Amino acid sequence: MKRGSAAAPEPILAARGITKRFPGVLALDDVDLDVYPGEIHAVLGQNGAGKTTLMNILFGLVQPDEGTLEVFGRRVRFRSPHDALTHGIGMVHQTRRLVSAHTVLENIVLGHPRVRGVLNLRAARTEVETLGNRYGFTVDLGARVWQLSEGERQWVEILKALYRGARILILDEPTSALTPPEVKTLLAGLQGLVRGQGITVILVTHKLPIVMSASHRVTVLRSGKVVVRLKTAEATEEILVHHMVGRDVAFRSTDRALPTGRPLLEAEQLAAFNDKGLLALRGVSFSLREGEVLGVAGVTGNGQEELAQVLAGLRPAASGSVRFDGQDITRLSPLQRWQRGIGYVPAERSEVASIAAFSLVENITLNYHFDPAFTRRGVLDDAGLERLTQRILSAYNVKAPHQHTRAQHLSGGNLQKLILGRVLSRRPRFLIAHLPTHGLDVEATAFVRASLLDARAAGAAVLLVSEDLDEILSLSDWVAPIYEGRFGAVLSREEADAETVGAMMAGSLLKGARGQ
Amino acid sequence: MWELLARSLEASTIFLFAALGELISQRAGVLNVGLEGLMLFGGTAAFITAQTTSSYPLGLLAGLAIGGFLGLAHGFFCITLRGDQVVSGMGLWILSFGLTTYLGNPYTGPLGLERVPRFFGLSPFYPLGVMLVATAWFLLFRTSHGLAIRSVGENPGAAEASGIPVAVIRYLCVTSGGILAGLSGATYTLSYNPVWNYNFLMGWGFVSLALVFFSMWNPWILLAGASLFGIMWQLSLSPELVLPGVLSRYVWRTVPFAITIPILCVISTPWFRTRWGLAKPEALGRPYAKE
Amino acid sequence: MKLGRYELTLEPRPALPPFHAVLTAVVAILLALAFSSVLFLSAETNIFTAYRAVFSYAFFNSHGLLATVHRSIFLLFCTYAFLVPLRAGLWNIGLPGQVYAGGLAGFAVPFVLGAPQVRALPPDLLIVLMMVAAATAGAAVGGFAGVLRARFQVNEILVTMMLNSIIFWLVAYMIKEGGPFMSATGEGESFGLPVPLHAPLLLGVPFTALLALGAAVLLDPLFAKTALGYRIRAFGESPAAARYGGIIPMALSLVVFLLGGAFAGLAGYHYFAAVPGVYKIPGNYGYYGDLGFYGIICALIARGSSLGAVPIVVLFAGLSLGARFAQGELRLPFGVDYALLGLLMITFVASHVLYRFRFAWRRIPPEALPHVSAELPQE
Repeated sequence: MKRGSAAAPEPILAARGITKRFPGVLALDDVDLDVYPGEIHAVLGQNGAGKTTLMNILFGLVQPDEGTLEVFGRRVRFRSPHDALTHGIGMVHQTRRLVSAHTVLENIVLGHPRVRGVLNLRAARTEVETLGNRYGFTVDLGARVWQLSEGERQWVEILKALYRGARILILDEPTSALTPPEVKTLLAGLQGLVRGQGITVILVTHKLPIVMSASHRVTVLRSGKVVVRLKTAEATEEILVHHMVGRDVAFRSTDRALPTGRPLLEAEQLAAFNDKGLLALRGVSFSLREGEVLGVAGVTGNGQEELAQVLAGLRPAASGSVRFDGQDITRLSPLQRWQRGIGYVPAERSEVASIAAFSLVENITLNYHFDPAFTRRGVLDDAGLERLTQRILSAYNVKAPHQHTRAQHLSGGNLQKLILGRVLSRRPRFLIAHLPTHGLDVEATAFVRASLLDARAAGAAVLLVSEDLDEILSLSDWVAPIYEGRFGAVLSREEADAETVGAMMAGSLLKGARGQ
Repeated sequence: MWELLARSLEASTIFLFAALGELISQRAGVLNVGLEGLMLFGGTAAFITAQTTSSYPLGLLAGLAIGGFLGLAHGFFCITLRGDQVVSGMGLWILSFGLTTYLGNPYTGPLGLERVPRFFGLSPFYPLGVMLVATAWFLLFRTSHGLAIRSVGENPGAAEASGIPVAVIRYLCVTSGGILAGLSGATYTLSYNPVWNYNFLMGWGFVSLALVFFSMWNPWILLAGASLFGIMWQLSLSPELVLPGVLSRYVWRTVPFAITIPILCVISTPWFRTRWGLAKPEALGRPYAKE
Repeated sequence: MKLGRYELTLEPRPALPPFHAVLTAVVAILLALAFSSVLFLSAETNIFTAYRAVFSYAFFNSHGLLATVHRSIFLLFCTYAFLVPLRAGLWNIGLPGQVYAGGLAGFAVPFVLGAPQVRALPPDLLIVLMMVAAATAGAAVGGFAGVLRARFQVNEILVTMMLNSIIFWLVAYMIKEGGPFMSATGEGESFGLPVPLHAPLLLGVPFTALLALGAAVLLDPLFAKTALGYRIRAFGESPAAARYGGIIPMALSLVVFLLGGAFAGLAGYHYFAAVPGVYKIPGNYGYYGDLGFYGIICALIARGSSLGAVPIVVLFAGLSLGARFAQGELRLPFGVDYALLGLLMITFVASHVLYRFRFAWRRIPPEALPHVSAELPQE
């Protein structure tokens, strides 16, 4: 692949004809990838496009069925990440691969071939510090990983890869859990690595702005095939989205007439502990009327999960109170809240919101086993539940072979539609939706968002917790950026612009907080 | 009084060996609730071999071998097949309970060999136990292998991504755990109480399992806990030394078990766990599937 | 495992047709029979003669058949004592302790009332009282573990095991060396029940059979059809999801352990106070506690089905009894029934593997064969 320019470098990493089949799925189909030295190469694609599989092959976690790999001009075959590491390829995964109970230094030296036998952490510390200074990042090496912010953890992983001698860094969705300022820092840092130290970066993402602002070259994947290869300078967001999705996608918009009336839900100075016993939610107050959406914008780990669980009754409030429809519900059980019309869509779809080994009917029953309409003297009304399931499957467009399929066989998007359909079928007056579109493809995301707006139109008050600022801004009537367990402010939609909210998500501007 | 203490220390050694093996295995993320079974089998094999060959070393070796083999079997089910660790552990325990009763029955009775030599009444196994604790502590907290073991138990995904062979490490730890459980059983039947009887342990293994939870996965705390329980156990066997004539001897036998329950409750409270319990390996009991 | 150009691997089964559960149970039982023949190898007769001796005693001999029925009832109760908590994902290995507690509580009724009262009150009432006391005591012991599990997240395996040891020694205290329940002859066993308190027999079988069969018929629909059963199953599959769905973990752990404990208590009542010829807590009561562990295997092999457990229980009851009988006949070592217990457990684990995995032959792609090195020399 000659470019005709004077330099015309050989690719530092070249994958040829990579094909990978998983049972029932062709994950990658004859994929070629060329990465040139000293560039930031973006691999763009939707969920399920095969990006992660391709990267796992480059890192030796998965072996391809067909195809070859060349690194630094040599044919290689990786059987394990260990092989990839010895060839100078390091990977930073989407979910952190750090041992949170260990120190930063212990994590960095873990598995390093030179650190064998009796641990000489002092020598390693000096080496890592030198390396950190050279690349210009400082992390407290003695800190435990669980004490670090998400951005710092990512730098620890990058440092770890560099300490292992990586010259090619693969970053899988590196921005997914970062605040906007942290994203900026990360991208600037990567530019520095590439320009100053000759590191090559492969950036896997589905976010167009990241590609446009940070990369030199982009390869777009769709359904396991390479659709197009471009220089970023020659691309626009519109071109990329067209290639990525295969057609144009439009979101539905709704009128935004704010309802008036008395508050349905009032939270007063709510606080709660997390599982480690630390105060994660530190005094949150808000009130919501029927037909309003409050968007809680924040990066995971700032107390949103605790907030959602306290409201759903799954976590005791350390202090503060919740009033629903004029009554104090702070101490009510989850069951009592369901019965009063509070619905909860948790972030953990397959661990909390559904039971993998249960059929779809049984999963629907999870929100109906206490409902007098579906039980008679303690006996479940099977026929009624089956009819209900059928209604939910068709109304929410859940693609499933039949209603006795196990939930584990549903895709993420269909599972989420099933869960959302189940909760909304109870016609909740107050709905808590935690990361409702996280990890879903474009179509399922659009459907879930439309369903939330339908619930709002039907008069439900909605608390939407999301990391996706665009989602928050397009759905909410009120926006509350959350940082370290506190709301920066509760802003009306008109007051909330991306810059203000983004800054508050990162903990700044707290002084200028305005109440509702 | 010294005799009682020496005997208590020997009893603690039995708890200690088994619990130390379990601790190492749990540090790598594998729970073996069938510890008592491994001890039973190790003890029985050691007893039979020692009696038929009249050799202590051979008996000890047989105990270690069978313990290691059962640990390996547990590993195969839990690591390679990714089976439920509780199912496998319970399976091993019932298997051992049943088979040792059958196999050992013809050997019911005393070992009939000269007693293992003692120094000032203290069995040689106790210093061995202390040495093993020191070794285990050093291995776990001062070497790269220990770091690898602890990482595998905390977050196998992270360990794998760092190039650590998760399955190999788990196998090694489970097998070593089995060998130590075998040693524990052999210590019982060869030295502590060289008389074979069906189900001779009567709960020692489960107490050892509980001891691991008390120890916060630290070998030194384990040593302290095992010593304490050894003394308590010995006292419960001969309460007349301390409180002659008070309560039936059968009632005293319940004491070590009865004390275990409230301790288990205390260490399980959120209060305790948030302060001290962070040491619990996070991936304990969860099978690891390589991506 | 690699064999030339082919590879033999165990693969997880993607989906399981319902008949598969039955199939694995059948395979488990066949394996059990095959395994147990190992025990008879040491016998002086051949294996088929041995099996004939075992089965003809257990099922075709009027005395042996009755013993098989008595043991089946006991094992059914034990099976359900384990099965109900298992459906909620909890391991009740406290069967021996709960069995002893049931026995003690049953005998406590006439003991506390005293001989004059026992003579004065209608025996039917006393029998019902004894039974209720046994079930309550078993339930209390089980419920204790359930509460600790729900309230403090204490491992129920450890707690129930500790309770087993505690109650084992308490029984020893009660019936031996001058304990309150010691028989007049002082033989290390409890006093015998007075004749009017012997449980009524139907065709030579104690009425407890009806309770056991009732449980066999009712438990399956309880799990499949009722809201309580649904909650138990949901909790067993995923405690977090169950809590999300409004199920209260505390109440649920308590309910299953109370129910399980009550079954084990009834098992204790059955063996010590209802089986003809016993009517006392014998000195070797520990043997009945150990037998309780058969309940664990039966429940596991039946995969939680109460009705499905019945044939398994009857088979294993017969096998263990017949083996013990054959032990004398064939001059086998003592403890055949224990050995069987151990072998059955391997059987279960093996069938469990077959249930979740299948063997797969796959051709290794030529480039993946080991002689290709990781790097090729540079051209």
